[in-house]
Amino acid sequence: MSQAQNTGQVMKAVIRIQRFNPDVDRKPYLADYPLDITDDTTLLDALETIKNELDGSLTFRRSCRHAICGSCAMNINGKNTLVCNRRVKAFLDGKGRVTIRPLPYLPIIKDLVVDRSAFWEQYLRVKPWLIPPASYNENQAPNSEFRVMPEEVAALKNAETCIMCGACYSACSVVGMNKKYIGPHALLKSFLRVMDPRDSAPAERLENVGGDDGVFRCHTIFNCIDVCPKGLNPTQAIETLRKLAQKRRDFEAARVERQKTLEADHV
Amino acid sequence: MYKTTGFISFVFRRVSGLALVIYLFMHMLVIGSVNGGPEAFNARMAMMQTPIFRFFEVALLAAVVYHAFDGIRLLIVHWFNVTQYRTSLFYAMFVMFVIVTLVGGVPIILFALEGH
Amino acid sequence: MRVFVLQRVTAVALVVFLTLHMIVVHYPPGHLDFSRVMVRLANPVWKVIDILFLLSVLVHALAGAYAVLIDAERIMPYKRILAWGAIALGVVAFIYGTITIINFKVLV
Repeated sequence: MSQAQNTGQVMKAVIRIQRFNPDVDRKPYLADYPLDITDDTTLLDALETIKNELDGSLTFRRSCRHAICGSCAMNINGKNTLVCNRRVKAFLDGKGRVTIRPLPYLPIIKDLVVDRSAFWEQYLRVKPWLIPPASYNENQAPNSEFRVMPEEVAALKNAETCIMCGACYSACSVVGMNKKYIGPHALLKSFLRVMDPRDSAPAERLENVGGDDGVFRCHTIFNCIDVCPKGLNPTQAIETLRKLAQKRRDFEAARVERQKTLEADHV
Repeated sequence: MYKTTGFISFVFRRVSGLALVIYLFMHMLVIGSVNGGPEAFNARMAMMQTPIFRFFEVALLAAVVYHAFDGIRLLIVHWFNVTQYRTSLFYAMFVMFVIVTLVGGVPIILFALEGH
Repeated sequence: MRVFVLQRVTAVALVVFLTLHMIVVHYPPGHLDFSRVMVRLANPVWKVIDILFLLSVLVHALAGAYAVLIDAERIMPYKRILAWGAIALGVVAFIYGTITIINFKVLV
């Protein structure tokens, strides 16, 4: 209590959590946990306190507490976000209550933990790794880096800092209807590789994401932008991929030319 | 479920779109009555001039105008990098939709009220 | 991708055609009868415009309905059948509509 007084005023809050234990429960239900919080208490702090002091059976994923591991995305008051860097106080409604649910549209394993295998399967489909220029020899360490222009780096700024938390994927209404859709997370990663001058297979990537289950299945609902805890912009990436997919041969030819200069720089 | 402007516009777009597809085929069949001669066409047209059809006409206008402005908004998003203005764009589109529907719909209602 | 491009191209065409259609056919909101439509359609330019309008609206409507349907995961595996069904329906409707437009030539 004295420690709490140092960091701010103590107030009452009710943390409402969607619980589900597949061994016992037929359907998920909501449970209320009254808690004393301060201005600084994060949602993750609240979950930890409940697990340690009120109900040890509460299950959730978390790891780094610094909004960089992407483990703790959950649905708070109907909106996906990370729980580790958000304060409880900002989410309290008029009755001093905050509702925490697991990520929507995904099968619940237990309480706040969801099965994210669809998320990762779609991620692998777009080959998220960089395919380097032909001169790159993986058996021999290169003497220098491939030098990329500042404006080429700037074009990637919408996609670089993704932490794969799944907030956008499970906010997407298209994913809710159709799990065959590649999803905003993987399309954003594909965008990152397509726009990277060091990547040597942009046409293959554009063909991969340019189908009915890729960028052309997006209905421009913008939920992915609204929820991204890193402020990234998957919708803009998808719109860019749509334009590039319509001229992927030209884009590949331009990339081949660009890589010639890239390799000339690279000794 | 996400009740953002993006989701709301998406639902309205779908519903108006599907309604318009159904209307299109009905419309084609009604107009197709001209194949039975001018009398058949005029008889069918007179049938469509009742007050209940006036109401449907306003609803139809609203669906068309909404779908059109929503489509224009999507084209703007596709051609220009304006995703950061998505909410303002939606409201601008919605205001345009309301204005055009009123400008087009009120005369239809007034005309019906005059007893034609 | 083809469906998407068709959808966007016809969307732009429809903005023009539909505005024209609403203004020319329905305003002022008077009694719509055969002679009024006929006066306009006596001009072959209007016939061509109306046939192009019919084509865009059919493509847009069927592509839209197709897109709505294959959004559902269960329907997606049957998208080939759906696409051919939509094309067949479109061709039939286009022929029917074109005959209708041409038939507006009879003088009363």
